[in-house]
Amino acid sequence: MGLYSLRQANRSVKLGAVLFLLVLGYAYLFAFLMVKTWSGLTPTKVAATYVPAPGMDEMHMATESHATTKPLDLGQMPDMKHTVDTNTLVQDSHIHLMIYAIVAGLLTLIILGLDWPAWWRDTVIVAAFATGALDFAGQWLMNFGLGGFAWLTLASGWGMSLVYLIVLYSTVRAVLPGRSTGGYP
Amino acid sequence: MNIVRRLGAAAGLALAVAALGAAAHPSPKVVLVKHTDFIRQTLTGATQYLVRTVDIGKQDLAAIRQKSNFTPEDPDVEFYLGQAGGAPVGVVLFHQVDTPHGPIEVGLTFGPDGAISRAMVTTATVETKPWVQEAVGTGLMSRFTGLRAGDDPRKALAGVDGKLGGMPQYMAELITTAVARGMVLYSTLYKGSAT
Repeated sequence: MGLYSLRQANRSVKLGAVLFLLVLGYAYLFAFLMVKTWSGLTPTKVAATYVPAPGMDEMHMATESHATTKPLDLGQMPDMKHTVDTNTLVQDSHIHLMIYAIVAGLLTLIILGLDWPAWWRDTVIVAAFATGALDFAGQWLMNFGLGGFAWLTLASGWGMSLVYLIVLYSTVRAVLPGRSTGGYP
Repeated sequence: MNIVRRLGAAAGLALAVAALGAAAHPSPKVVLVKHTDFIRQTLTGATQYLVRTVDIGKQDLAAIRQKSNFTPEDPDVEFYLGQAGGAPVGVVLFHQVDTPHGPIEVGLTFGPDGAISRAMVTTATVETKPWVQEAVGTGLMSRFTGLRAGDDPRKALAGVDGKLGGMPQYMAELITTAVARGMVLYSTLYKGSAT
């Protein structure tokens, strides 16, 4: 048994829950566009954004500088690639992890009223918090040069979206009249 | 009610599809001036462009550290050269400094005489852009014009001091740092003719 039942709750509670989820989805829409624009949606592109370029290797550096000069076609010059360095990732982490925690906490408040079995409720709550944490775990692992963890960041994004979808579906079912709330997706 | 439910389901599905895969929110850089536009605009009269990539050697690295007390993060530095009829028009260099608020990149154009003929902030971030614009609005960038190796670009800050608040002033100082490092890279690494 949960702390409350969203189905039995005051209309204002239902209204607040649904509007929160809809606006959160609205925010996700722009998050998707932002990621698509600045990072990419494939592991290769995500890794290119977060894995640092090879740095200065003084052990194997030549004594004198070496220059090569080539013709340049400005029309073929690639656009600057957006990358996230350690300083930027520190900033991103401190902002986003806090927001992820707040969003996961608010989703939890809704989940507690969905009359789900305890095991399923706990699973989705853990997933709500874990996906945000794993998103940035993947980014930091890439920052340490482990580009293969682009999958972790992408999978976390999918997981975050799945949690959202499950909560949205169940909430809409719970607040619509004439619907049973005993089931879960 | 069926129509309402279907509309709700459609809206939910659309939002969910958009949300799928959405994670890893990078702090977006804001490109104020594209590299190609900066090169075209500031290498006036150039009919041919070249890119010179310099792999930094130990001797030059030591010279850079001695002159400016910094170590370039990238072992390769690119210079963009403009020529007209085989004669050099100028050289462009982009240099980035990283901040807790994201990177700031400055484009520098050096004339054939080795002096800065143009300096512009080419990249900021969503967060720093207004501060950068406020700093640039004081005429900071034009005060770098004419500087050459050995000059102190921090003198350009004299026209800014007292006019700006905390973060714009900080941006002005970072921009000056980028210019100073760019001048050192140019004077140390850019050698010889463009051909």
